[in-house]
Amino acid sequence: MIKYIAQRVLALLITLFIILTIAFLVIRLMPGSIYDSNEMLSADMVKILEDKYHLNDPLLVQYRYFLEDILLHWDWGTSVAVQPRVPVWEVLASKIPITLQLNFVSLLISLPIGILAGIFAAIYQNTKVDYTISFFVVVFISVPSFIFATVLQYFLAYKLGWFPIIYNATATGAAKYLSMILPITALSFSPIARVTRYLRGELIENLSSEYMLLARTKGLTRLQATVRHSMRNSFVPLANIIIPMFTNILTGSLVVEQIFSVAGVGGLLVESINSSDHTLTIAILIFYSMISLLTILIVDLSYGIIDPRVRIGGGSNG
Amino acid sequence: MSEKILQVKDLTVSFSSYAGQVHAVRDISFDLCRGETLAIVGESGSGKSVTTKAILGILPGNGTIEGGEILYNGMDLAKCSDKEFESVRGKKISLVFQDPLSALNPIMKIGKQIMEALVLSKAATKGEAKERALELMRRVGIPQPEIRFNQYPFQFSGGMRQRIVIAIALACNPEILICDEPTTALDVTIQAQILELINEIKERNNLSIIFITHDLGVVANVADRVAVMYAGKIVEFGRSEEIFYDPKNPYTWALLSSMPDLDTKEQLFSIPGTPPNMLHPPAGDAFHERNQYALKIDTREAPPFFKVSDTHYAATWLLDPRAPKVEPPRVLRERIERMKRRAAEHAGQ
Ligand SMILES: Nc1ncnc2c1ncn2[C@@H]1O[C@H](COP(=O)(O)OP(=O)(O)OP(=O)(O)O)[C@@H](O)[C@H]1O
Ligand SMILES: [Mg+2]
Repeated sequence: MIKYIAQRVLALLITLFIILTIAFLVIRLMPGSIYDSNEMLSADMVKILEDKYHLNDPLLVQYRYFLEDILLHWDWGTSVAVQPRVPVWEVLASKIPITLQLNFVSLLISLPIGILAGIFAAIYQNTKVDYTISFFVVVFISVPSFIFATVLQYFLAYKLGWFPIIYNATATGAAKYLSMILPITALSFSPIARVTRYLRGELIENLSSEYMLLARTKGLTRLQATVRHSMRNSFVPLANIIIPMFTNILTGSLVVEQIFSVAGVGGLLVESINSSDHTLTIAILIFYSMISLLTILIVDLSYGIIDPRVRIGGGSNG
Repeated sequence: MSEKILQVKDLTVSFSSYAGQVHAVRDISFDLCRGETLAIVGESGSGKSVTTKAILGILPGNGTIEGGEILYNGMDLAKCSDKEFESVRGKKISLVFQDPLSALNPIMKIGKQIMEALVLSKAATKGEAKERALELMRRVGIPQPEIRFNQYPFQFSGGMRQRIVIAIALACNPEILICDEPTTALDVTIQAQILELINEIKERNNLSIIFITHDLGVVANVADRVAVMYAGKIVEFGRSEEIFYDPKNPYTWALLSSMPDLDTKEQLFSIPGTPPNMLHPPAGDAFHERNQYALKIDTREAPPFFKVSDTHYAATWLLDPRAPKVEPPRVLRERIERMKRRAAEHAGQ
């Protein structure tokens, strides 16, 4: 098990390094200079500034500086345009809490709702219950979250006035939570539908499996067999789809935050790209990658704990 | 004959499917005596598994028992409720599956799977159940049961898994064990071991066994009586020797002729054609289309059972007094002679 964890962590670090490299290269290869937006600089001054920051050195040399700073001094640089001279992680840290709040809450409420809906759809397979649930699954999966965001905002907030139209960062307590409900709801439709669809499929397969029959013929009641065998086995692969689901929420959040004027990481990323704030863009990309990779790691490890074939087999036996 | 422990009378089972009603089991009757092994033999699709599922009350949702009775211990299993069935399923009548690879839950420990029914039905405490599970594992021939107890199915070979499935079936000490092709998925040497195990357990636990198979070669070693099934009907039944040495139904002849024979190099006979589609079972004798001995009447009217002896009945018009006298094919007659000789040699030794 320890070997397994070590392998996974190593894989994570390697992946992170590759992402870091690609992010650096792609962003440096984009046209434009960070001094473009400053109209009051002469060409000489730009040259001097660029030389000072090694911006005219070959890309590989720049990459070495970049890595050295990070590895030796844990220095990711400062923002140059969005909040000049503030270290990037500080800029980011001020925006992370609200984004993560929205995204995690969305994930947390999606799981139980999706699981319940999936169980109902599977157990009442090919009945009206199943058809109704499956209809909503199709709608929720195919319509992107920003459409839901706009529709919710228009009807529930603007027309009916039940919720504030935009996120209220200054409010506290109930008013603040009230203004978070719509963005979270908009983000949750698609993950709910994904969980439902996946669990329905898994459960239907497990319900008609041979070991389910064996569980019944050895004397378990239908309920016991369903809960202890079919459901338990259906939950294991569920861990698999949490990764794409969470990335789905994260990317959806980029736009949904804009719609509800949430001052989160999504807005920051757009702003940093537009203003050529390279260091900040890289930091945000690394932040997103780190979250995804950690989710994968957690899922991988939990998978190892839940599924004995991974835990014990170690790949040798199946 | 000794006491009848299970009686199936006029059982009819059908499935609703998109294409229509599938008449999987059509009006079959048989009984199982205490302490005997009854083999049910037939080609794929003849309705053997459906019969066992009906007996155990585990027909899939689209299947219904259209008629008939399954009498066990004063109960009619064909009509009893889910609740009533719980006292029978696994506890009095158990099942050993065809495919041990998929019959065990891949992510539950072997020991737990054996104990589960005992613990959940409150027949034993956890400690007692564990003792019993270990004892069962020992009895079905699992070496080092204490270690194996905490392992998962993927750590077992196919033959070992089938032993576990048998242990699970025996956990609650049932009276009747139904084995649905228990050796089909295993290779030949393992097959023999499992058959031996089933025979041995039968003696020890005084079980009555329904042994389902499509392989007559297996039957000879285990069965006291044999019922031959075709297209959802029983077409011949009798004591094992009667079916092997004096078969009357052309379908039984065909089955016996297609049995692989290790002694001779003769071309393996295979029954021409395919089993009928059970959406529209043929009128008359369902086998007539593939039967070179078919009579005109076979296309119109299903044959009744004709008595051959007190224990041997066959449903074929060839036994009607008005029918022409027909002998089994020559290959089969020679084969029967050989089997008899070999049995005599065995007895003489
Ligand atoms: N759930 C179902 N829905 C529709 N038809 C079914 C269903 N289950 C079985 N059948 C049909 O019932 C008939 C008998 O099937 P059964 O499984 O009893 O065959 P079998 O004798 O056990 O064959 P095998 O040797 O392949 O196990 C087949 O024609 C099959 O197609
Ligand atoms: Mg079968």
